[in-house]
Amino acid sequence: MNNAIEIRGLVKKYPRFQLGPLDLTVPRGAIYGLIGPNGAGKTTAIDLIFGLGKNDAGQIRVLGFVHRTDAVSLKRRAACVSPDLNFEVWGKVGRAIRFVRGFYPEWDETYCAALMKAFHLSDTDRVATLSFGAKTKLSLLLALARRPEILILDEPITGLDAVSKQQVFGELLKAVEDGERTVLISSNGLSDIERFADHVGMIKNGLLLLEGRTDEVVDRYRLAEFFTGNGTSFQSREGLIILKQTENRWHALLDQKSGAHEWLQTHGAEQISLTRVTLEELFVALAKEEEAA
Amino acid sequence: MTNQRKSWLIGPISPAAGGTLYQQIVDRLKREVSEGRLKPGAALPSFRQLAEELLVSVITVKRAYEELEREGIIFRRQGLGTFVAEQGRDRSRETKLAAAKELLRDGFREAGEAGLKPAEILDLAHELLKEKK
Repeated sequence: MNNAIEIRGLVKKYPRFQLGPLDLTVPRGAIYGLIGPNGAGKTTAIDLIFGLGKNDAGQIRVLGFVHRTDAVSLKRRAACVSPDLNFEVWGKVGRAIRFVRGFYPEWDETYCAALMKAFHLSDTDRVATLSFGAKTKLSLLLALARRPEILILDEPITGLDAVSKQQVFGELLKAVEDGERTVLISSNGLSDIERFADHVGMIKNGLLLLEGRTDEVVDRYRLAEFFTGNGTSFQSREGLIILKQTENRWHALLDQKSGAHEWLQTHGAEQISLTRVTLEELFVALAKEEEAA
Repeated sequence: MTNQRKSWLIGPISPAAGGTLYQQIVDRLKREVSEGRLKPGAALPSFRQLAEELLVSVITVKRAYEELEREGIIFRRQGLGTFVAEQGRDRSRETKLAAAKELLRDGFREAGEAGLKPAEILDLAHELLKEKK
């Protein structure tokens, strides 16, 4: 079994929003970045994986376990870090750790101690007085020290300073070093995702827009600039998203696999020049497309 | 896997440096090989280790290794790891030379388009070489 998470035909309906039908494939050993505009359904999807809320259709398999019928096996092997987690009731960091570790036979005390040091946390720190970033690190520590086979992180780096962010990604890369463990991370830190995530999936309005190896996804698209002669006009079409036009100068996002480049060449576009895109530029262009449609 | 890890001083790589991150890794490793700091037979870190060290995704390092392997600069032994090839030094010099030729060609073309005559381009090249020293 080479996929850590397989989501097939997942649907969840709300009065004003529908997630899916969604297919998502997270390969084992990968860091997978789930991206999408606010309200796209990232958190809904993550919650469903953990059995928070009931899906209306479709199936979620985590390490081969069906998420609803094998809930216990799944929860033993998968850990979740969410901004909604709050450990303040335990008072001190040490108490929160002692409480959580009791549930997990795989708890790694040595690793926990190393993480405490790396994250500058101490047993005697009061959870309530920790900074926002330190609270995030505590949640992450409590999840990592369980040595989960799958770690799911919902917006873990939002609000972290650059140093902390790098530290967190360093730990995540360490966590997947044996090639067996998998990280699913939802984030809007697109430059971080581009740098650290092996695979990326983008959802919008509850639907998967693209998915694949991060380098291949980014490499597939180009920003195109071209010129037109007497009054030729273009509209977005398959593989081509018009971003901007000033007089006879055009900017567009171009999918190199779609044949749009060749199409442009034979339909009156002149002096076409192509530039590589970052994940962020790709994201913005794809988000724009929807607005126009 | 041992805990004792060599520190691989090819980093840091950065999106600000130009070129894709994987290309930067390829270039840096080639330089290490062609300048003799990485000798034939030397073991390279696993791509997961190098990813952790350079703080980039595993896929990025994997892709860099695959390219170096294709060019015959490194080779993989199942279960043992990745090593610098015997002919790695020559190979990386060859590819560097090819890249240099390509860049020079581009430069000459641009200079030509700017209206420079061949003799003037050569003068310019000499000037730039002196500047470097």
